[in-house]
Amino acid sequence: MPKRRLDPLPAAAFQILLALADGELHGYAIMRQVEQQTNGRMRLGPGTLYSSIQAMLEDGLIEEVGREGESEASRERRRVYRLTTAGRKLARSEADRLADLLRVARAKKILRGDYV
Amino acid sequence: MSEKIYACLLKLFPSRFRREYESEALLLFRDRYREERGPMRKLRLCLDLLVDLVAGLPKAYQNSLAAGSSLAPEGHAAPPFQVLESEPLRPGAVLLGTLLSFSAIVCFAWAMGRDIGERLAPVNEPKSPVEMVMQRLNQPMQPEPSAQPATQPEAAAPANSNASAATPSSNGQVQPPAQQDLLQYQQQTSLGRPQQGAMVRASGESGSMSAASRPESAVNASQPGGRVLPASRASSNGVVIATGMRTGESASGVPTAARDAAAAMSQSEPASSISTAQPNVENATHAMVRLMRTHQIVMFGETHGDKQEYEWLCALVKDPAFASQVDDIVVEFGNSLYQKTVDRYIAGGDVPQEQIEKAWRNVIGAVGPVSPVYGWFYKAVREANRQRPSGHQIRLLLGDPYGDWEKIHDAEDLGPFVAHRDAWYAQVVKHEVLAPHHRALLIMGAGHFLRRNGPGLVERAIRDAGVQPYLVVFGTNAVGGYDVLDLRFNKWPTPAIVSLQGNWVGELPANPVLTGGVVAPNAQKMEDVADAMLYVGSRDTLMQVNVPRSDLLDTAYGKEVERRLQIQIGRTMEFTQPLEEPQYHRPLQQVSSNGIHLTPPNPPKSFRDPLPPRPPSQ
Repeated sequence: MPKRRLDPLPAAAFQILLALADGELHGYAIMRQVEQQTNGRMRLGPGTLYSSIQAMLEDGLIEEVGREGESEASRERRRVYRLTTAGRKLARSEADRLADLLRVARAKKILRGDYV
Repeated sequence: MSEKIYACLLKLFPSRFRREYESEALLLFRDRYREERGPMRKLRLCLDLLVDLVAGLPKAYQNSLAAGSSLAPEGHAAPPFQVLESEPLRPGAVLLGTLLSFSAIVCFAWAMGRDIGERLAPVNEPKSPVEMVMQRLNQPMQPEPSAQPATQPEAAAPANSNASAATPSSNGQVQPPAQQDLLQYQQQTSLGRPQQGAMVRASGESGSMSAASRPESAVNASQPGGRVLPASRASSNGVVIATGMRTGESASGVPTAARDAAAAMSQSEPASSISTAQPNVENATHAMVRLMRTHQIVMFGETHGDKQEYEWLCALVKDPAFASQVDDIVVEFGNSLYQKTVDRYIAGGDVPQEQIEKAWRNVIGAVGPVSPVYGWFYKAVREANRQRPSGHQIRLLLGDPYGDWEKIHDAEDLGPFVAHRDAWYAQVVKHEVLAPHHRALLIMGAGHFLRRNGPGLVERAIRDAGVQPYLVVFGTNAVGGYDVLDLRFNKWPTPAIVSLQGNWVGELPANPVLTGGVVAPNAQKMEDVADAMLYVGSRDTLMQVNVPRSDLLDTAYGKEVERRLQIQIGRTMEFTQPLEEPQYHRPLQQVSSNGIHLTPPNPPKSFRDPLPPRPPSQ
């Protein structure tokens, strides 16, 4: 059986899922959103961005908006993506997993503060 | 980084990715490039894109492969295959694949063409168990004594048992042979060239004209009882005849020789196991240079006095690639009494001709005048050293015992030296080559080196020192009787060296190939007796070089040769041979003209004595 590409979920993919949580975005907007939500620590390049998008599309975590039935001319426009239910579910579970990790870290006094 | 460059870099991504996202990626690049203002920000963008390229490529290919694997039915372990119909190979990819495949084939062929033993370990290093197994597998199989075919020459066994008896002891002293007989005595007197016709006439037999050029071995060959003949034809056929021929199989049977060969082949192995693989025919000089690189000791079993053979040897020693890596050449055709003189001569010193030629003319094993080819070789080594005055110098080591002919008056004086020729040669190799870890070419009559019943005395001494030598022997295209010449050799460039393992040359019967078809085949094959063969030309083109008559008739040397012949074989000879003559004569009927069989002399009593103390070198 081939290894699942998004298990565990890569950081870039999780960030893209989070970026799309607010609504539909095209590639460049996703990149900007990720940069913004990570305070500039993560700047996705085209290779990483579209490889992740490709994997997530194939796994049904995101979908392209208005792709079906559109004309040839309109395909030249930017592609817009949105989160699917599965994607949202996966993003939630990943966030829960990270929250659990943070709780453990806080319990062990590794992480201080009450923002989690 | 301009858009064009980035577009080129995108070509590195899998085609599936490019088909879907190339335009998007370029669009995104354009947006970012437009936004980033100032050289520093543009530089940061370039770095980001490079990092992204490195990080994104594996992911893109992973996606591509995963998509391919998803084509396989669920639960099937069979490897997935991409359908190329929608994604044809680019010409560049086809070209690259072709080049890589061709390179791989060339590398594989090169690796397989090498001796497996050579690349496993250097010759002097201890071998691993795997290497030892490989070495044993590469060695020719020794027949069981009880399984010896009826045609196995009886002469071969005594030759080697003689060798095994007269081994150097651990204290460096050559011990007397345990058992010697007439045959061995005769085999030891093998280097020179007595004229058989002259001996017939000297014995009171007028003889026919044809008898004048008849080998003594052939003259005696009809002697009943399968008695082994003396080696008096040694100069043309070398020791090979003496060690390989019985009267019963002496070359009288020319018409049946091919049948004998076939019979011998069929006795040795089933036809299905006979290799028909083509040999790797290599330029002899290149091959020898290569062998000297991979082996500390290379042994060359020569045929005495052959013109083409020594022309090649002379060219070989002058080859810079050879001269630069060989420390010593140990020769049979040099009386070690004269080592100092020879050292001076090959170092370019001013040595009179009459003094230096004593080294090869006074060889103990020579019967009759010694061919001038040996003088050519000494001169070639001297010239090779002269060409490299400040470079690596070759030393010529004389491997013949130090008997002084001026002090040898009868067979009893001569006996110990003749009896210990191989043992003394081995001792020279051991002390002068192996002890100082030199790299050397050993040259001796092929009969001394052939693996008739396993390695000979010299090779055993080398192996005992932990060194694996490589053995090359002189051979021709005579593969059955005298008239059976193999046309396949005609295509070979000459001189050439071919390995004898795993090809049709190695399957040829040893006796005729080694003796120009004079000696009939037996079960022994070429691959049994040596590692490789030197081929310098078709049997009928080979020429023997003799001493000019002017050097023998009424000269001091001629008289001395006659005196020595009286001591060695009890007869003298007439010096009637031409300066050059065919190396191998057709063997004739084996009865002398008046029906009197020539009998070889009895060995002297001193044959079992140890070598006397060595006098100072001259």
